Parts: sequence; structure tokens; C-alpha cells
Amino acid sequence: MTTYIYGIAAATHPALPEGMGGIGDPAHKVRVVRHGDLAALVSDSPDDLRPKRRDLLAHQSVLDEAGAAGPVLPMRFGSLAEDDDSVVAVLADRAEHYTERLRALEGKAEYNVKAAHDEQAVLHQVLAENPELRSLVEVNRRAGGGSYEQKLRLGEQVTAAVWAREAGDGAEVRRALEPCADSVSAGPEGTGWLANVSFLVARDSADGFVAAVEELRRNQPHLELRVHGPLPPYSFVDPGPARPADDAAGVR
Amino acid sequence: MTVVPAQQSGGAGGTSGLYDVIELILDRGLVIDAFVRVSLVGIEILKIDVRVVVASVDTYLRFAEACNRLDLEAGPHKSPGLPDLVGEITESGARGKSKGALSGAAETVSDAFRQARDEGRGEEEPARPRARRAPSRGRKEEQE
Repeated sequence: MTTYIYGIAAATHPALPEGMGGIGDPAHKVRVVRHGDLAALVSDSPDDLRPKRRDLLAHQSVLDEAGAAGPVLPMRFGSLAEDDDSVVAVLADRAEHYTERLRALEGKAEYNVKAAHDEQAVLHQVLAENPELRSLVEVNRRAGGGSYEQKLRLGEQVTAAVWAREAGDGAEVRRALEPCADSVSAGPEGTGWLANVSFLVARDSADGFVAAVEELRRNQPHLELRVHGPLPPYSFVDPGPARPADDAAGVR
Repeated sequence: MTVVPAQQSGGAGGTSGLYDVIELILDRGLVIDAFVRVSLVGIEILKIDVRVVVASVDTYLRFAEACNRLDLEAGPHKSPGLPDLVGEITESGARGKSKGALSGAAETVSDAFRQARDEGRGEEEPARPRARRAPSRGRKEEQE
């Protein structure tokens, strides 16, 4: 029987969700494997575990539940150990590192911010700033929308102008919110947004972070901002030697 | 307000929240080399590596059409120049707010709304939920 690992917490964590339903259908019960100062949240795993919606949600829910009461190092989805003993071995082997991380993340949560352009608004801006594009639009309109070639020419230039704004706006999102966070991590690239950035925010200053997001919304109304948090600190569990958590937020 | 408490992720409205943070669950988080990770092959809702959108004729035409539809003559948008920009942004802001109500819903859902809105303006363009938000590395690379 393989053991699925959700996350690692301190053995002193006040409310680990033992017995909660985890992955699988029917859901396997969450267990706690302890060793020394550490505890791992685990459950049995279905033999055919796949990244299905239900199991992803279960992974996330277990970590949410545990994270609400104390720091947890979230595992990436789909980590399997041979058995509980293998989990214990890992806890023993890297106790110092995990303990340090748990201390560093205590009282902090991840907020993920994704930004996209409000297309109408950004087109207005791009045209407002660029008389040449505006006249191209006018020419096309007078020609009843323009020929295929005219449309292509206009579209290509507008697209380039919008992309140029994306780069600047992406940097602006980070710049505006960075001061309210302890640490910042660029999220995986995707095509649905111009910025995908995770911020590590102290829970007791979360209000300030949310206020900064609101201010950004007001100041940059052409940006659609989606904020998710508090989340388990997925992006801040293991910054690696090249990027210590302490100065990850520092920009030279 | 689009701050979605993570606790909701397990609830009824959780799927949309999940959709927005799925790349974190799959691509961030602690990895321990002593453990095996399940294969991500065949993932049903993974969006991060399938949406490589390349600059295309489609994109150009779509932007050109959008510009043609854009109401440059109305209100503060008339003869837009830098002095008018402030008024313009304010007006866009109102739109941004109304869209904000949709934030947090699955992107596909908000795209459906957007599409409905676009069609309401007399646009006969077929649905292109993925193409609408196309800013991508792929395109940038091709552009350069």
C-alpha cells in the first residue's frame, strides 16, 4: 500500500485534520505520521492516482484545513511514498530543514495574484496613446471595416502595442504589491494572464495586502486582478540555496 | 472583491478557486526526491502547458475587429488624446468593476459572459474562449 503525503507540520501543530477525508473515491482518511518534532499528513493512495479534479481539491482542502491552525509545508500534488516508514525516514533525515522552513512560514500565507487586461479598456488606452493606430482604425471604418490586408495590418500593430503594455503592467503589479509581502515568487507562466505572482503575506497584515490590491484596482482599472488567498505556501516551501526566503522580496 | 478565502476551495464554489491555483498545486509545493510523483500525463484540467498560443492571423483579425467595434466617439473617448486619458480610465474603471463581479468564477465561465456581452453588441464572431486572452510567451517570441 503506497502512502500519499499532503504536507509536513510541526508535531506541536494544534489541529491537524486527522480523520478528514482525503484523496480517493471513497475518500481515504487522513492520518498523521509523527517523528520527533515533525508530523506528516498522509493517507492511503488509490492505485491509479491521477491528477483528477476531485483529488486535487482533496489535496488542497486537507492543506487548507491544516494551514488554518498552524504552519504546514504543502507537498506538490501527487507525492507517494512506499509506506509510512519511508515517510518517517524522510522526516528524520531532513528534520532540521523542515523545522527551519516551518518556523520561517509561521503565521504567513500565500496570496496568488493573476492579472489580465480588460480588453476593451486596454484597447482604448492603446488607441488613445497612438494617433497612428487611431487613424488606421478610422480608415478601416470608412472602408466598412477594411480589407483583409488592412485588418491584418491594424491587428498586428494593435497586438504589438497591447503586448508592450502587458510587460509593463506585469511589472507594475509586482511593484505595487511587493511592499506588503515578506517574499515574492513568480508563478508558472501561462497564457491566460499577463502576471502570475505569489506573495507571502503575514496573516496579521493580510488586510494591508488586500487594501493594496484594491488600490491597484483603482489605479489600474484596465487590469483584471484575481486574488486567491490565504493559500498554503506552495511557492515558498523550498526556495533553494540561490534564493533564500529572507531576501527573495529584495529587489536590487 | 475577488479575495477568495482558500477555505472555500473545498466547498461548493471550490472548483473555480481550484482552477485559478491549479498550477501552484501541480507546479509548486515541496518535492522530496525520496518520494515518487504521480504522472501528470492525461490530466484533465491542466491548463498550463497546453495553451501555447502563437501570434496568428486570427489574433490580428480579432484585435482589428475589436478596434472597429470600439466606441471611440462616445463621451470621453472622442478624439482620445493624452489630456482625455484620465476621463477614459475612469470610465473603463466602471467596466472593470462590473467585470470584477465575475472574477473568481472559472475563467471559462467569465469568458462565456464576455462572449455573451460581445454578441450583445452585435458581434457575430464565433466563440473563441481561449483566443481572447492570448497574451503568451509564444506570441512574444514569435514577435521578436
